[in-house]
Formats: sequence, C-alpha cells, structure tokens
Amino acid sequence: MLRSYEGTRYISDKQVIVLDIGSAYTKYGYAGETAPRGIINTEIKCPESRELRKIYSYKDEDDLYQLLVEFLHMIFFKCVVISPKDIKIVILESPLIPSKFRNTLAKVLFRHFEVGSLMVLPIHLVTISTLGVDTLLVLDVGYQEATLIPVFEGVPILKAWQALPLASKAVHESITREMKTILSETESTEKLIENIKVRTCFVTTMERSLKLETDNPFKPPPDVKYYTTRTFEIPGSVREKAFEVLWQRDNDNLSVPTMILDSIIKCPVDTRTQLAENILLIGGTVMAKGFASRLKTELLYLLNSELYKEKLKIKTFKFHTAPSKPNYTAWLGGAIFGSVDLPSRCITKENYLELNRVPDWVNLIDNRKDEASNTI
Amino acid sequence: MAYLFQIDCVRYACSCGSLKSIAKIYFCRHCLSIRCGYCVCHEVDSYYCSNCLENPPASEVRLKKYKCSNCFDCPCCFETLSIRSGQVLVKSLHTTQEESKPVTKKIYYLSCTLCRWSSRDAGIPDQTVATGSWREQESPNTYRITALINFYKILGSIEKQQKERKKFQSKRIFLQFEKFGITSTMARKRVGQLPLLQSNTQSDQPQPSEASEEIEELSQDIFTKSIDITKITTLDQRLQHPELQVENINELRPQRKQFIVKRSQRCRFCEHTVSKPDYCPTSTKFKIQLAAFYHVPELRIVACEPLRLGYSSELLLKFCNPTQHQTQIILLSMDTPMMPTTTTLQGIKEEINRENVQMGCDSPNLLPSAVRQAIVVEEGRQVNIVINAEVILPSSSFILPPRDDAAEYDDPSDSQNSQDDPKLVVWRKGNKAIIRLDVIPYVDKDKMVKDEPIVVGLAMQYGYINTIATLEHKAPQKLDLKVKLFLTLGNLVHNIL
Repeated sequence: MLRSYEGTRYISDKQVIVLDIGSAYTKYGYAGETAPRGIINTEIKCPESRELRKIYSYKDEDDLYQLLVEFLHMIFFKCVVISPKDIKIVILESPLIPSKFRNTLAKVLFRHFEVGSLMVLPIHLVTISTLGVDTLLVLDVGYQEATLIPVFEGVPILKAWQALPLASKAVHESITREMKTILSETESTEKLIENIKVRTCFVTTMERSLKLETDNPFKPPPDVKYYTTRTFEIPGSVREKAFEVLWQRDNDNLSVPTMILDSIIKCPVDTRTQLAENILLIGGTVMAKGFASRLKTELLYLLNSELYKEKLKIKTFKFHTAPSKPNYTAWLGGAIFGSVDLPSRCITKENYLELNRVPDWVNLIDNRKDEASNTI
Repeated sequence: MAYLFQIDCVRYACSCGSLKSIAKIYFCRHCLSIRCGYCVCHEVDSYYCSNCLENPPASEVRLKKYKCSNCFDCPCCFETLSIRSGQVLVKSLHTTQEESKPVTKKIYYLSCTLCRWSSRDAGIPDQTVATGSWREQESPNTYRITALINFYKILGSIEKQQKERKKFQSKRIFLQFEKFGITSTMARKRVGQLPLLQSNTQSDQPQPSEASEEIEELSQDIFTKSIDITKITTLDQRLQHPELQVENINELRPQRKQFIVKRSQRCRFCEHTVSKPDYCPTSTKFKIQLAAFYHVPELRIVACEPLRLGYSSELLLKFCNPTQHQTQIILLSMDTPMMPTTTTLQGIKEEINRENVQMGCDSPNLLPSAVRQAIVVEEGRQVNIVINAEVILPSSSFILPPRDDAAEYDDPSDSQNSQDDPKLVVWRKGNKAIIRLDVIPYVDKDKMVKDEPIVVGLAMQYGYINTIATLEHKAPQKLDLKVKLFLTLGNLVHNIL
C-alpha cells in the first residue's frame, strides 16, 4: 500500500509516540514529524467525582496513578489513536521533576498500558537537536516555573541549574489581581485569564516599565473590549503590566534575567562567552509579544549594574531561533531524537519488570563509575 | 440496563478492586471472573471518520496520518465543515470562436453551519471538485527538520556500530544516560579532553543554527493601536494547528478531521477477547460481548424503609437471572473467600484453581502458553468504601429459574416454588424474585460522618454453568461463583423524638 517515497519511511518503522506532559499543556505526536499532533490541557475528568482535575494537582501516588491511567487512556485512544501495547514511547521531562511523578508515570506505562519500551529524555538537553548545535543555554518558561540548564558540547552543566516560580501561573495571578474590580471571582476562570493574556497582553519595554510605577507614566495602551457572556473592558494598564512580575526582582534579587546571568557565573570561565552567545528560549510564556527583546535589554542593563559588573565580562548575548514555535520546541527535540533507533538508551519492558525502577540522575546506582566504560 | 441518571446504587466489585455498576463490567467466561475497563487490555480495532464513516484499513490510515481526507473541522468552532456548491459564470477562453458564451461551472467551498465561517471569508480559492483538492498547509520548516532527523539517524547508526564492537565489554543494562546523559560520570569523562572534533563531518550534516543578536523588537504601535478582539484568535484556535498558531482570525485554515477508533478489549489473564465490535462503522453491534449483564445475576433495590440509627429497616431486593440455566443464590457475608467452587459427583465441594480453569479452556486459536508473553501484573485497586450498616443475612438460599423470553408474554402462572422460604422470598415471576432483608445502620456514632449515605456490603454466590466445551470436561461444568456487592441505600432519617 505504499503510495509515495515519503510513505516508505513511515511504514517501515514502528511508530514512536512522543509525549511532553507539561504542567499546563501536554504535547503529543509521532517521532519524525515536524510538529505535534495536538496540544491539550493536562487535565482529565475524574471518573468518580466527575470533576475536571489537573494531573499535577495529585494528592498522593495512588491518586496520581489513577489520574495518569485516565489521562493516558484518553491520549492513546482519542488523540494518537494507537494501541499502547508493546509500542515505543518517548517521554520528555525536566530533570527537576519530582521522582514520585516520573516513577508513577513509568509504572502506569509499563504496568497498566504494557508499553514495549520507554525513552526518558531531559528537556533542556534534547532541545539542542532542533538546532544542530552542541552548546546551548536553554531557558524554559512554562506554566509552573522557569527552569534553565546550560548544555556545553553536549553535556549539561547541572550545577548551574536555575529554577524560579516565574512563569505563566505567576502572570495569571497578577492579571487576576488586576482584574478583580472588573471580573467577579466565579467569572475569572483560568481559561479566561489565559485567553486575556494571550490575546491582549504584551511585555512592555524596559524604558516604559521603569516609569510605570512613577507618578507620570507613559500614556497606557488603549483599552480592549472583551466579549464573553457579557462585555467588559480590559484596561490598557492591565495589558501592559501583566508580565511585569517576571522582571521585578524579588527579595533575593532574582528574576528571569538574573537566572541567565547567575547560571553563566556558575559555569566554568571558558564556557561563558559561548553560552551567552547561544541562548534558546522555549516554553509557552516566551511567545508573549516583546518577551525576547525585553529579556535582552534587561540582560544588557544588568551586565552594567553593580551586581554583575565585576563578575561577568560578557559583552553580547545571542539568541537562536528553533524551527518551531517555542511552546513545542522541546517536543520537537524529542521527536527528532526519538526517530533515531537507539535501543540501548531505552528502558525495555523486561528490564523494568525485573528491576522495578527507572534510572535517575540523582540515584547513585546510575552514577557509578563504570569499569567497562565505553568512551568513544 | 443503565439506570436512570446513571446513579450507581448497586455496585459490583471487579476482580481488580474497582467498583462499577453491572452495565460497566465484563465477565470473562474463560477465567470465570469479573473484569472491567480498568483491568482489561484495550486495543485499537478499526479506524473510521465520524462524519463520512469511511473506514480504511490500518496500513492506509497511517499514510493518511490518522486523518480523514475528505472531511474538515472548522478552525473557529471545531465543528465539522460542510461542503457547499455554487455556480459561477466562466467566460470561455477560446477566443477563436466568435461568440464566447459564458459557461456556468460548478464550484465548491467549505462552510460551517454553526459559526458561519467559510473558506471564502478566509480567502481560500473555490475548488472545482468537491473533495480531494483542498490543500494542506505545509510546515515552513519541514526541510530543515528532515535534514536534522537524517543527521541524527546517522549519528545513531555510528553509535550502534561502536556498540557492536564493544558488545562483549558492556555489562550495564541502562545506558540511557551515557554520552547524551546527565550523569556526573559523563561530565567527568569529558573533563580535560580536547573540544569535540568534528570528525564526523558528513556531507549531509545540516548547517548548525546561527545565533543572532538581532531580535524582533516590540512594535511601537502596540501602545497606540486599538485592538478588535474579534479579529484575534483564542488560544484553543491557535493550538488546533500547532505548526502555525496564527494570531489573526482570517489566517485560520480548516483542519482535516481526525479518525476515531473502535476498541476491542481483551482479558489480561487469559488473553481471550471480552468485547469486540463489528468492523463496520455503521454497525453498533458486537462480534463478541461478554458483558456481565448476560452472565451474572442482576440485583436492584426495590424499596427500603427509612433508615434509623440502630434500628432495623426492611430492604427489598430484586434478583434477576439472565442466563439460560437455573441458578441458586446464596447471600454470604463480605469476608467469605471469593474462589470459585464446584461440587463433584460425590457431593464434595472443591475449590477451583484459576490456573486449572484456564488450562482447560485453551482454545486452538490462542498461542500456546510457552509462547505467550508473561502476564504483567498490575496492583489491584484499594476498595475505599466504608460499610456503615449491617445486613442480616438469610439462612436459606433461593433459586432463580432460567430466563425465558416467551414467558414474558404469558399470563402470570402460579408456579410458585413451594420450596421458597416465605419469609425470604416475597414475590416471584419468571426469572425474577424479590427478597426481603433487614438492615441495621451501625450505632457507632464516632465513626459516622454526617450525611454520608448508608452503604451495605454482601457477597452473592450464584450457580454458573460453564458451557465452553473443553477436553477435560465434556459435560458442562457446574460452578459456584461469588461476587461482592455494595449497595448504597441513602441517607439516615434523623429521629425526631
């Protein structure tokens, strides 16, 4: 039944499912494709209480197990429409994910769905494959938190990791606070707030931002009429201020731009220039209008500030553009990596059932120095 | 079958521990136990389009990327688009003829009947054929990504060759974190080495991405230009097409409709199918449907006296035998062992091992047990239900006659079973019987949560005739099976004294 040359590739291989289960959205699709098949909310209707629940709102491991069973069942039979038994799955995860979550996920996949093999890939590392480079500083601003791990010549510099709860969720909270007078509590659902953010809000310039809190700010952008069950106006100041929470430095002087600088400081001196000139922004929040340009101005401003002047001698920052939208760049990395046949990097069903654990970088057993080390 | 408003008053305990109503459970005839959607293995049986009901074979579905080639979803409201036809006057191009008569030509466009989106509004040219000519949007990055994939595939095969050479040295099972990994061993290995030489510079290595200092600045007119919210797409509309995620409503393009699947379900323990739908998408019938409703006696609550703490209330339960065989029902307490038993010719009760049952029931189309994959055992679910009332179990058993469809239309004959205990059985007709029980809610006040419905639990033993002809037992085997039941009776009535 081969129709085209392109088709031969798809037919000859066994299909590999790539899943990126984020805290707000799950990206799913097949390895070797250029974009995910779909991006859906990471939530499922609980079969017993019949309420919509986020997967990450789990109470304990048993609860998470049930939620994941329901959620993955929907993914397999409604989204990717494939029998999960004995297939290969690529899971993208942040290296900072709770062990409880990844262990339960592996248990669900192997014990309940009986998948054939599982490849767990760290998000920041696989992202390099979307660019074809070896050295990259990856900043992932998602829903729950912003995380950063630099990768140098294919090796993640784990000690320079950064994570701050400055992401979508913080932005949503700030919008909800600002809109309190306009929207009642029942009206301001996360869905609506998110749509207001995506459709009307933007990241303002640093110059304007500095004047926002002073007595004579710039003229705010025009208000926007928004229609739901009723019509209301979104003030221009709300649109402009929405993302400010990401740039305001907290009591420890931390914000999104300082994450990059702090991480570079923690890296060895000879890697710093290269990392600063290879920055990639991923995650849904970086798609906000003006995010990248604001980040760049903030970075250059901080370089000349007292805090970093002495420590860092970097002059320029350069940014990469991935061949994808930032909110699924990590998925694309997994899709490229997953299309490569690397049986040795997978956890097979037999291995899992025998040992009952997933290798983890924090676990000493997986960090042993190998007597038969196979360096190339 | 399903109760009004789907309230699960009577729940059966599945062998995996889930509690479900009888309409939602299966009965595996081969391992003689109750299975549910949670503990069976789901498999995709066939694909079909929910709009045009096309069902291509599985190999073709994959080429079509699991999407229907003819049907489209509205990019605005995600409903199915309908194909509309219109007529347009086309001037003949042949100028050689003196009179170039305008010719009417049929043209087609897509339109949404719900939100009035149409392909004309979006600026998609009309098509001259109804199906098959609508163009898909190409991802702008396909070429680049294909180059990257091929490059990493080559890297993968190089690594494979190297592994092959060192096959006898490597003893580790998990190599996942090596080289591309994040273990400290890996980092240590790289320390002090020369920067990675580009030794593997293949001719087809794609150009690595160039970072640039220039970034798209925020356009200045965002501070002054007013926004019409109706022209900007919502997040759902953007995520419908992840590749482009367009911002303006008029850039939205219709998406091909995704196929949906018919599932078959297989018992995990004996690998026999418990449910298999008809292949044809227009049919709602099943080829195999081992629903518990056809094999296990059904229990319904008829009436229950108001429940008072510490006082006994009368509970009327209706039992119905769905099988073609007479069955004897004994109500037991919750803590009886659940193993199926049989009575031998000598009248001795013996337990049946699940393995024995399976062995005897091996049908020839299944793989021999040696080839079969090891059963992956999943932990059972905890029954988290609090029983807060005691039920006084009857000492005698009762018999339900087989189902007889014709009897439904007969006059009620007074073929009352004289063996019935009149205290227990209050009504009987055909294969149904109503029995009377007494329920006493616990007096234990501390444990009682206010307004928690009263739940009683009991085990039902029922006779089952195993009609699957096996090599060992030529005659149908008589078995006694048991199932745990949980009945939600409603809230307590507070005594006004």
